[in-house]
Amino acid sequence: MKLIYPKWKKLPGQTTFNLPPHGPVAFAGTLPEYVDVSFTDENVEAIDFEEDCDIVALSMMLSTQVKRGWEIAEEYHKRGKLVMAGGISSMLHAEEMVQHVDSLFLGESEGRMDDVMQDFLQGRLKKVYNFMGQLPPIESVGKCRRDLYKRHLYNHKGVQMVDLFHASRGCRFSCYPCAVSYLGGRKFRPRPIDKVVEDMASIDNNRLFIVDNSLAQNKEWEKELFRAIAPLKKKWISHTIEDDDEVLSLAYDAGAWYVYQAVYDTSDYIKERVKRYHDHGIGVEGTILLGLDNQSEDDCKRLIDFLGEIDLDLAEFTILTPFPHTKTYDDLLRQGRIFDFDWNHYNAGQVVFQPKQMTPEALQNVYDYAWKSFYKDETQEQKMFNLFCKVALREMQEGTYRQRDRKLMNQSFGHRVDRTKRNVNL
Amino acid sequence: MKVPKEYYDELFPFQGQWDMPSMCGLKIRHHEGHTYVIVTELYQENPGTSITYAGRALAEQVCKAKGLDISQITYIECAPDTNSKLSFYDEEYFEVDFNADPQHKYRQLPADEIKRILEA
Repeated sequence: MKLIYPKWKKLPGQTTFNLPPHGPVAFAGTLPEYVDVSFTDENVEAIDFEEDCDIVALSMMLSTQVKRGWEIAEEYHKRGKLVMAGGISSMLHAEEMVQHVDSLFLGESEGRMDDVMQDFLQGRLKKVYNFMGQLPPIESVGKCRRDLYKRHLYNHKGVQMVDLFHASRGCRFSCYPCAVSYLGGRKFRPRPIDKVVEDMASIDNNRLFIVDNSLAQNKEWEKELFRAIAPLKKKWISHTIEDDDEVLSLAYDAGAWYVYQAVYDTSDYIKERVKRYHDHGIGVEGTILLGLDNQSEDDCKRLIDFLGEIDLDLAEFTILTPFPHTKTYDDLLRQGRIFDFDWNHYNAGQVVFQPKQMTPEALQNVYDYAWKSFYKDETQEQKMFNLFCKVALREMQEGTYRQRDRKLMNQSFGHRVDRTKRNVNL
Repeated sequence: MKVPKEYYDELFPFQGQWDMPSMCGLKIRHHEGHTYVIVTELYQENPGTSITYAGRALAEQVCKAKGLDISQITYIECAPDTNSKLSFYDEEYFEVDFNADPQHKYRQLPADEIKRILEA
């Protein structure tokens, strides 16, 4: 099987970082042992369309990958190959996706791929394997096939990128712009702690990104998780952690490096929330969503200026985007405000709808202003370096620090480093 | 973010996109010889496809279950007020014309118009 993660156009002006993708290796972990897999992440290497294979599998996470996925499918069809597709964006765009591939897999693949591969071997691959709403037992989630990564391609100047990891699936929140509860179920589904520990321990990387939508879904499980993983001495990034002194303290002890925290207003609560993370030694990358109906241009600028007062370590700005199967999509569709359905533009950096309190151009300008304003004194790369120094220092104190890979000091994601240029997307 | 029961007379299970088991709130009103079908989004209580995404497929299922002719009803989607502090969850009603082009498929109903229908 040729397993492919299609490329997408990176947002201009932002620092280039390619993390080893999680979906494809989680999927590969559910394949029967007899399936020989060759993996290509097109974001870091070109696809060799002539490489021998019996079947092609496209794994896609983002809306901005789907059209490239269709192009890849077409290339393989010209060569007489069967193409199947799965993953988050295959599910979000299923009605279109099914028109471009031979077989579409909807849902989570644990416990299902034996049958699919048998169907393939017997020449009766189904057009759709529909497991939407039929969530497999969370205990059946096993280890990812991280052995498929070409590690040198996820390395920047000798520094290995974080590995992605998940400790739970599903979400009990139905946030306005998010489709996770549609995809993974509206219930929080934590993995058994012993399996999490076993899986995490097996990763040959001391730095992880725990990609769960929010760890703050069950306080007791969260505390148990942090106590259990602390001895592994991994350092990790995650989304929101429960706003509770005991939990935050346990998180730091368990290796919390920095978290993504939504900054949605200029309240004292937000200011204190960020401070509490910092008080516990945890860094904060603010995530700021621009273009909501309750935001005027001035509101957005006030919010951006506010970031300077709360001492964020990093900030990431996104434009509200109506991804299918979100309330945002339904609302804007009913109101006739979506003017662009080109999925390549659904990258959260481009306005595809009519904002309520400003023009699309004004929102685009506010977004550009946000990036420039926040990083005017210190670039994104410099701020990341500051966070990197903090984690490296902690690792040195704990005896887990790994030296940079000297063989890759002049390489960045598989390419020779051009020291005359910044590592920024054009 | 539970949807108040005042928004529906009954819960209506339906087959969502890709056969996903789904659920909405349902009210049917008769006013001046006309039938109004009002489906309400249930958010967390809806395990599957949203009423808007389900669109005509949901309307057909309601009509089949209730013995109605889809061409003879006014079909209304309700985004209920869930008492959230976020304004994105304010109440809205939209009349849906499945035969119209996408830009004119939905018409937001003014408060007095939906009040007149609901009180019928």
